[in-house]
Amino acid sequence: MEKNGLWITRRDFLKTASAGLALSLAGRPAFLEAKDERDLVVVSGDPATATRAALEAMGGISRFVQKGKRVVLKPNMSFSNPPEWGSTTHPLVVATVAQACIDAGAQRVVVLDNPLRPAELCLKRSGIQEACKSIKGVHVLALEDRKFFREIKVPQGKVLDRVEVFKEVLDSDVLINLPQAKTHSATGVSLGIKGLMGLIWDRFSFHSKYNINQALADLATVIKPQLTILDATRALVSGGPGGPGDVQKPNLIVAGIDPVAVDSYGVTVAPWYGQNFKGRQVEHLLVAHQRGLGKIDLDQLKIFKGKA
Amino acid sequence: MRTFLQALSFLIFTTLFVFANYKLPEWLPADVYLRLDPLLGLSAVLTGKEIISRALWSLIVIGATLVIGRFFCAYVCPMGATIDFLDFLSIRKKTRPELKGEANWRKAKFFLLILFLSSALAGLSLAYLMDPLPLLTRFFTFFLYPLAITLINLLLDFLRPLLEALGWIELSHLHYPQPAYYMSFITFLIFAGIIVLNRWTPRFWCRYLCPLGAFLSLLSPLGLFKRRISTECNECLKCQKACPMGAVEQDPKKILLPECIQCRTCADVCPKGAISFPAFPSADRASQLGGEYAAVDFSRREFLTSMTGGFTFAFLADRTPFTPLQSKHQLIRPPGAVLESEFLRTCIRCGECMKSCLTNTLQPCFWESGLPGLWTPKMELRFAPCEQDCNVCGKVCPTQAIRSLSLEEKTHAKVGTAILRKELCLVWAQDKLCLICDEICPYNAIVFRTIEGYRRPVVIASRCNGCGFCEQRCPIQGESAIVVVPNGEIRLKEGSYIQEAKKLQLEFKPDPGDDKFILDQSGFKAGEQKEPGKKAHPEEKTTPPKPKGFL
Repeated sequence: MEKNGLWITRRDFLKTASAGLALSLAGRPAFLEAKDERDLVVVSGDPATATRAALEAMGGISRFVQKGKRVVLKPNMSFSNPPEWGSTTHPLVVATVAQACIDAGAQRVVVLDNPLRPAELCLKRSGIQEACKSIKGVHVLALEDRKFFREIKVPQGKVLDRVEVFKEVLDSDVLINLPQAKTHSATGVSLGIKGLMGLIWDRFSFHSKYNINQALADLATVIKPQLTILDATRALVSGGPGGPGDVQKPNLIVAGIDPVAVDSYGVTVAPWYGQNFKGRQVEHLLVAHQRGLGKIDLDQLKIFKGKA
Repeated sequence: MRTFLQALSFLIFTTLFVFANYKLPEWLPADVYLRLDPLLGLSAVLTGKEIISRALWSLIVIGATLVIGRFFCAYVCPMGATIDFLDFLSIRKKTRPELKGEANWRKAKFFLLILFLSSALAGLSLAYLMDPLPLLTRFFTFFLYPLAITLINLLLDFLRPLLEALGWIELSHLHYPQPAYYMSFITFLIFAGIIVLNRWTPRFWCRYLCPLGAFLSLLSPLGLFKRRISTECNECLKCQKACPMGAVEQDPKKILLPECIQCRTCADVCPKGAISFPAFPSADRASQLGGEYAAVDFSRREFLTSMTGGFTFAFLADRTPFTPLQSKHQLIRPPGAVLESEFLRTCIRCGECMKSCLTNTLQPCFWESGLPGLWTPKMELRFAPCEQDCNVCGKVCPTQAIRSLSLEEKTHAKVGTAILRKELCLVWAQDKLCLICDEICPYNAIVFRTIEGYRRPVVIASRCNGCGFCEQRCPIQGESAIVVVPNGEIRLKEGSYIQEAKKLQLEFKPDPGDDKFILDQSGFKAGEQKEPGKKAHPEEKTTPPKPKGFL
């Protein structure tokens, strides 16, 4: 365990807490705590309303997307399965966020993934294309050709020194990660950070060439979503990442800026393969945390819980 | 009028070809041209020794030819249209050298027809070699279609900056996966050869070689429309020069009736308007039918020679160790392909299945199963897998050599079984960490078991339907460490694959939660917490083992 990470975290935490205390002492009602001080927002409800409420609780989409910005939304639409399978992000989660971005004045919103199955089938059967069809300015793309990627360096990479990332992501202002909560046979769970693999060209080397947990942490040092909204309305608790498998319904949307924190909470929303785990028990999350990419311990997080 | 109908027919043919993909709606018979082809139908019925329902469509063409005459070649045949068009484009203005022994050349097509039909009787399908419809479909599939995709993508690449600037994001990111095929060069050469032959005479192919044309010309004598010449004829011989089939004889009032395709070119060029094609010639008009049907000039000896040729050919080609031992074949055939020997007999090598294949895994054979297997589809699973949500290959098969199956049935039409080649597998041979085959398998047919203290992949044969995702995705270079072999394939001529699979106790729908195998692993290497003692005795479980990726 790296002590440094912890010290800073605690200090940050204390700072924030004392600031909050001071403010409330100054006569500010506690229930009006600043939304941008929340580390995590967890809202239960159906996909659309919970997503809307989560965005609201995060301080509104305008905190992340301003007028004229180019936005990329990265849902999981790697598989040509319907939403009930729990292997892809719920279409209404994607559509709700896309609509919010458009309402906030985004110049263009591209919903993007590099699918594992034929692109057309994934777009259609995941329901995401259909859900976003009527929103003007939103473009749903599943791209499979290398020409849409550009190589970047990974300066802090331990195993990865270069990686080819979607040009669209590199050229955009805002990246919002919309992962689906599910099991994964290589990484235990597949949440936000694992979902970043859908933005790169050569995923297979992660499995064959590198230690996938290190490589994922490396990737997270260069692809940094401004916001992660984890879709845990359904959780594929076995048979991941493609399913079919057991699907549970935690009915939760978890949103946050810190990708490790969101994932760490995501680990606790359901028992995976019939067992309960904590974020620290997921190797790639622990590595990411140790590399200073985010907080992993939930008791150090400011979590807002709500119902929609 | 004729050019219009010809162009329209070509357009319909091309449109149906484009529509032959996984999205093909149930009601649209994309293979209708091939179904209509009576020679293909007859050949497949003779070879397979059974009635093929889709081949019955060809009765339409047979009937129409009996009533109208040999109109098919001039108005319907897309190959004829292609030949005419390319001739018009490139050869029209050149002087054509004279062809010697014209009459003998004309016999060639009848010789071929008899050869193909007799070899069909002997059980070898050959008509596809020269029947114009599969020939053109093959050319479209193996050459034109990949070329068109390349050109479209190039155009899109060129336009991308503009489309991006216009804000047409979907279009600026449009890219069609590039199909690629074996045999495309051979297919191209054959087609180019057919076109080059026009250097000697227009429609050289149709005049001298096309076995379908020969077949239709035999049917045409009853046709109502026949060329008639009035007394106006001044024997200027313009019609003789213009006739694309060279059917007008030395005496321009006479015509080789079986060769006449009723294109009416002669009527168009006749300065006297002396030529007509009336359905019901009126008695008062002084016109006469020039030419007789005896003109199929084929002696008994020639007939017997070509028939013997067909039988001999079929005998020789079929004489391989593969024929009696059909389990010896090494190829993975498309799901729903009937038994190998019947498959070879009924497949007409049109290439529709390979064109429409969603993943491009279906590839034409060259000599893998000898002459009887030329151009037959095989699955090239190292190149691409078979997609679960696609069943188009059977849908477009004109002779149902690949049966048209529902998605559920198709899933159960097991094409083979994956086997692990341990000497190549990263995990088995090198103790490396890799589980792509397990991750990608749509049926959970690959599980990890602890063997020699290490988690290693194992195939559960009863869950594998041979889709090949594992073979394709295996990350090692060169040959895959997990390959699909024909062992265990289910090939039924009729009946349900689902029931057959049930009978064989195969299960291609993993019940949820059978991923428990991950929990059965004694604690996966979890960094510093590894306890070697526990690994040695996995049965002493004190704490539940953890799935991969968890610490």
